[in-house]
Amino acid sequence: MPVAASAIYFLNLRGDVLINRLYRDDVGGNMVDAFRMHIMQTKELGTCPVRQIGGCSFFYMRISNVYIVIVVSSNANVACAFKFVVEAVALFKSYFGGAFDEDAIRNNFVLIYELLDEIMDFGYPQNLSPEILKLYITQEGVRSPFSSKVPNATLQVTGAVGWRREGLAYKKNEVFLDIVESVNLLMSSKGSVLRCDVTGKILMKCFLSGMPDLKLGLNDKIGLEKESQLKNRPTKRYHGKTIELDDVTFHQCVNLTRFNSEKTVSFVPPDGEFELMKYRITEGVNLPFRVLPTIKELGRTRMEVNVKVKSVFGAKMFALGVVIKIPVPKQTAKTSFQVTSGRAKYNASIDCLVWKIRKFPGQTEPTLSAEIELISTIAEKKSWTRPPIQMEFQVPMFTASGLRVRFLKVWEKSGYNTVEWVRYITKAGSYEVRC
Amino acid sequence: MALSGMRGLSVFISDVRNCQNKEQERLRVDKELGNVRTRFKHEKGLSPYEKKKYVWKMLYIYMLGYDVDFGHMEAVSLISAPKYPEKQVGYIATACLLNENHDFLRLAINTVRNDIIGRNETFQCLALTLVGNIGGREFSESLAADVQRLLISSSCRPLVRKKAALCLLRLYRKNPDVVNVDGWADRMAQLLDERDLGVLTSSMSLLVALVSNNHEEYWSCLPKCVKTLERLARNQDIPQEYTYYGIPSPWLQVKTMRALQYFPTVEDPNTRRSLFEVLQRILMGTDVVKNVNKNNASHAVLFEALALVMHLDAEKEMMSQCVALLGKFIAVREPNIRYLGLENMTRMLMVTDVQDIIKKHQAQIITSLKDPDISIRRRALDLLYGMCDVSNAKDIVEELLQYLSAADFAMREELSLKAAILAEKFAPDLSCYFVQMCIIMTIHGFVPSLLKCRYVDVILQLIDKAGDFVSDDIWFRVVQFVTNNEDLQPYAAAKAREYLDKPAIHETMVKLSAYILGEYGHLLARRPGCSPKELFTIIHEKHPTVSTSTVPILLSTYAKILMHTQPPEPELQNQIWSIFNKYESCIDVEIQQRAAEYFALSRKGASLMDILAEMPKFPERQSALIRKAEDAEVDTAEQSAIKVRAQQQMSTALVVTDQRPPNGTPPPPTVGPLSLVKVPSETVDSDQNPGDQGLTQPNGVVYQEDPQQPSQDIIGDLLGTLSIEGPPGVVAPLAQSATSEAESVPSAADAAALVPVGEESGSVQPIGNINERFYALCLKDSGVLYEDPNIQIGIKAEWRAHEGRLVLFLGNKNTASLGSVQALILPPTHLKMELSLVPDTIPPRAQVQCPLEIMNLRPSRDVAVLDFSYKFGPTMVNVKLRLPAVLNKFLQPITVSPEEFFPQWRSLSGPPLKLQEVVRGVRPLPLPEMANLFNTFRLTVCPGLDPNPNNLVASTTFYSETTRAMLCLVRIETDPADRTQLRMTVASGDPTLTFELKEFIKEQLVSIPTAPQRPQGPTAPPPQVAQIAGPPPSASQDPGALLAGLL
Repeated sequence: MPVAASAIYFLNLRGDVLINRLYRDDVGGNMVDAFRMHIMQTKELGTCPVRQIGGCSFFYMRISNVYIVIVVSSNANVACAFKFVVEAVALFKSYFGGAFDEDAIRNNFVLIYELLDEIMDFGYPQNLSPEILKLYITQEGVRSPFSSKVPNATLQVTGAVGWRREGLAYKKNEVFLDIVESVNLLMSSKGSVLRCDVTGKILMKCFLSGMPDLKLGLNDKIGLEKESQLKNRPTKRYHGKTIELDDVTFHQCVNLTRFNSEKTVSFVPPDGEFELMKYRITEGVNLPFRVLPTIKELGRTRMEVNVKVKSVFGAKMFALGVVIKIPVPKQTAKTSFQVTSGRAKYNASIDCLVWKIRKFPGQTEPTLSAEIELISTIAEKKSWTRPPIQMEFQVPMFTASGLRVRFLKVWEKSGYNTVEWVRYITKAGSYEVRC
Repeated sequence: MALSGMRGLSVFISDVRNCQNKEQERLRVDKELGNVRTRFKHEKGLSPYEKKKYVWKMLYIYMLGYDVDFGHMEAVSLISAPKYPEKQVGYIATACLLNENHDFLRLAINTVRNDIIGRNETFQCLALTLVGNIGGREFSESLAADVQRLLISSSCRPLVRKKAALCLLRLYRKNPDVVNVDGWADRMAQLLDERDLGVLTSSMSLLVALVSNNHEEYWSCLPKCVKTLERLARNQDIPQEYTYYGIPSPWLQVKTMRALQYFPTVEDPNTRRSLFEVLQRILMGTDVVKNVNKNNASHAVLFEALALVMHLDAEKEMMSQCVALLGKFIAVREPNIRYLGLENMTRMLMVTDVQDIIKKHQAQIITSLKDPDISIRRRALDLLYGMCDVSNAKDIVEELLQYLSAADFAMREELSLKAAILAEKFAPDLSCYFVQMCIIMTIHGFVPSLLKCRYVDVILQLIDKAGDFVSDDIWFRVVQFVTNNEDLQPYAAAKAREYLDKPAIHETMVKLSAYILGEYGHLLARRPGCSPKELFTIIHEKHPTVSTSTVPILLSTYAKILMHTQPPEPELQNQIWSIFNKYESCIDVEIQQRAAEYFALSRKGASLMDILAEMPKFPERQSALIRKAEDAEVDTAEQSAIKVRAQQQMSTALVVTDQRPPNGTPPPPTVGPLSLVKVPSETVDSDQNPGDQGLTQPNGVVYQEDPQQPSQDIIGDLLGTLSIEGPPGVVAPLAQSATSEAESVPSAADAAALVPVGEESGSVQPIGNINERFYALCLKDSGVLYEDPNIQIGIKAEWRAHEGRLVLFLGNKNTASLGSVQALILPPTHLKMELSLVPDTIPPRAQVQCPLEIMNLRPSRDVAVLDFSYKFGPTMVNVKLRLPAVLNKFLQPITVSPEEFFPQWRSLSGPPLKLQEVVRGVRPLPLPEMANLFNTFRLTVCPGLDPNPNNLVASTTFYSETTRAMLCLVRIETDPADRTQLRMTVASGDPTLTFELKEFIKEQLVSIPTAPQRPQGPTAPPPQVAQIAGPPPSASQDPGALLAGLL
């Protein structure tokens, strides 16, 4: 079902309208006031992304310091609406060449209006592909070098390979492949895993001439089994572990019929950067870190916190930008730390001890021990709720899922040689440990 | 402010002010709070400067609306700091962050006390301010004496004493004991001699609080107050800084006059004279000027003076002066002043008897009715309403009616209400306004029948033209009105049908039309375009356009249409069923329930008729509209010193509309010319508690009167009666009507028993045959028991096992009430009967219900007698009526299979359990008819048990308290050659029951058309039967004997 958006608003954090576009006249112009009154100025902001006020539904999303609000007056597909917002933001970013924020909007009013006209028609989402749109909507009136190709625009948009121009030529044919995974974890204080999954995506950057046909091989279970069936060979050839992917979503360029029949990922890539596929894994996740907290409340005004973090990936690897946030009660007055590595401090505005370790080698276990003094209050002593410890990190060349690229083949008529680059990185999603 | 030195504080404040949004601000504040916490926890402690700075920050954060739940200790400790800047913030923070219940305050009491008794004036002021702001009981106990000392001390500066007076006021409010000191009244009086106006104003505030609780003790202050007023009014010795726009301290004037209003009167003639002089001066000296502030001040004084004048019941002259002044006010262009003038005039009206003077301004007030400002119009309306009396009622009502057509819709309702009430109050003078008034009077129910149709027309037009402005109350009222006036029903239905033809009609109209057509649509059935199907189609056409509140009404209408369509039309039925089906899954509970219930009911066929029968009449009650008007009026009452008096006046003013007769009888129609009007019939519950507001409605809905929600209970009326809670009687299976022959078989005793005693007077003859009515009722559960030109007695009964509930409906057919109504039940020995209270009088055209509880103890054929008497004019009427609580009412039909029957039949062998008799002289009946007759007696005929087709076998269960449920079996063997004789065998587990049942059946079968002889069973009757059958014992309590005596 389509979105059928009646209007889209871009608001800053104060609730002022930066830009708006009404697609249908079934909502009044003052709907945004209702949003400001009933959502932005209450504590409910950020608790629920979909709200209904006076017969209209508001879908909103905050991106940096901008709220993007879609107003619909009928029953609409919410997921589609949010997907539209996300894609639109990606599109704007690719046009602005950087951040998407209030200033960027203010500097690009005309462009945004033009894009808004193009990407949604009478409330229905249209083509959001930056590659294509850039052909026709050019900034500052500068005509693109390919403007001579515009006559076959219809063919371009409706044709078989709508996402790639013909006649591309590069001196050096290169393909970059990034596998980015984020680990979500909720662990109990005793160390048992309550919830754990990995969401990953494969990002690709292509600089290839002509109309190349690519084929990607991963160490996923289904693909491997199918391959061995087809080639009538036992799976012996691949000795590593096989991965079971739960949900897989492909970019539109991937040939799904071939995927369904042969379980191979083959595609004609768009030019430039795109997200080839997304997946999710719930079984057999390699956790990069283990956190062992002990928090003792000594009477009403003192606390002792000991946290040990153990890195369980290979000793040669290292994690970057590790931040461990250990929550403390609101009435924390004084803190003193002892850390074996990195730095720690108390951040009053988020009520956490923040421990930062810039470079965290594998197979090590730094510890933090802190003493905390609390101030006495007149309010009724409520027992502290003990929110979970949160962690942020990035581990390059490590995949929590164990996914590996086995091959990437490029076929092109001219038969040029290509250079393929593959990178892996694992990040923290919501990595939480109860204490 | 001592902020200049604290850089950190100013930086923080500017940071917070520079925050772009709430989130940034919160982050900054949280950070600062963390910082403050760290500082307060610092081992070395804080310097007084730092402490001061952080407490200021805390206070600022608190003022921004964040929770600050620490640092109170620091704030309190700053109070005892030696320097002013620290002490100041300590006091301010304590006053803001803490309230009187915090324990921390205990720590401060001692310091505060030291500051109060100390010599430093600024500290004294700080301390007094704190106590004045948060002082609780504990403070008042420990500090009151010191504060009092400060107040009366001669050495203190006025600044301190001023604060001390206000502080004492606070302490007094928290703990009135603080002034229970000997001679405080005298000291208070001394305080009023104060020359400094600041101290005097504060003291006057204190005095107002004191005298409001106990004016007797402060008599001595009264002359002082008058003196103060004199001083102010003469403008003597008033410092320039206490004059406001040339008025000497208006605040003090107002307070003094307020204090004076708490004293009941001023007795001392001198004081009184001088007070009146002052008031006179105020009244004279006030005028409307250009300057708004000056106006405000002088009017505040003036209106307080007016209140005082009203309170003191000044001479007429002064009153007329007041009214003249107000008259000037209402003529002013400035709307605020006009408003105040009107409002105060209304208030004067309530308090004193100055109507004649006010009447002079009537023309001006009527002009105000046309003011563009609605609040002024409302005030004018209130005033007109209040000032209306016999002499000017005609003019005012005429004016109101004229205005009604021009007024905006928001006000029309109120306007019409008020006009209606006035019309009722002064009806004799307004008789000539019938035609116009009918619209309004209908709200109260008094409508000449000729004008009823006109009324319906008008309201329908009103809804049609201005649907949005017509509140639900009005259409509810129309429904009540139509329901209670039978002659109006076809007309209303036709009208509603007409309106439905219009292409676009208002939703209220849809509701009303649907309701009326559902109820009375069948009355139109003969007219073209009004067949049930057509009605359904036209109503259903509106269905897609209506909101959820209307759908339930439409559903009820469909159900009613379905019920009225006899024989059912399959097509219509299917259509309606499909609608019900559709709504059975509706999200609205009300709609869903109705749909489901109507659907299930409509499958039940005949019983639908009873459940969805026409609505009973609505009881007359005070119109909710009028109650609404009263509510509105009470709102306007003022809360000043005259409030109590004003309310007393109000209540007498409203007694006309508020009367609710204690025993539920309607008020006699006071409207002379209208008294010929047919009063809609009224139902009064006989068990109604006098004065109780809760009425049990005949339709089974308990009606709770709630003055707060007048519209609510009307909804309860209408919607409640629409729902399935039908009359209680319909639940019981109705006995099929008996064959006509059965009704005309009176036995000898019966024939004799029913001669009304009143017959001898020759004035009142019963209508219809009482015997026939009785026999009919033996076979049915509801019907008319007795009727004569004055009264009709109906019966509705419900039987369950050995218990029964019988409701007597006593309906007065006359336009005059029936007096000395008495109903006595003479129960036979086997029945226990309890009749609830019968009212002494039956109002004209009203129906009274008297429930009668019956319990069957033993099987017996004896009949209960109702001894009923009433007085109509001079004639006393007395009738004795048999009540149809006969044997067969306690039978429950039961079907037995051959397997059950034969063992039972065999086990009950021979007399006295099984009795056989050959009966001769039976009314010749064909066999199926006889079977039918048995069935109506609740004896189930079981075909096929007896192989002989000429025989009948029947079974039933008899209930009584002694026998419980007892199976009875009957066998009748007829002779096809001679239908006048048959052999009857009766068997049951109880000998008495067997005998009684046999005799009962025999009585029913034997036809003895006229002979006044009583058939006696040849077999020896059991003892208690013998008592009845034998010679009558004289003056016995036994009703059977009584019956025999009447022979």
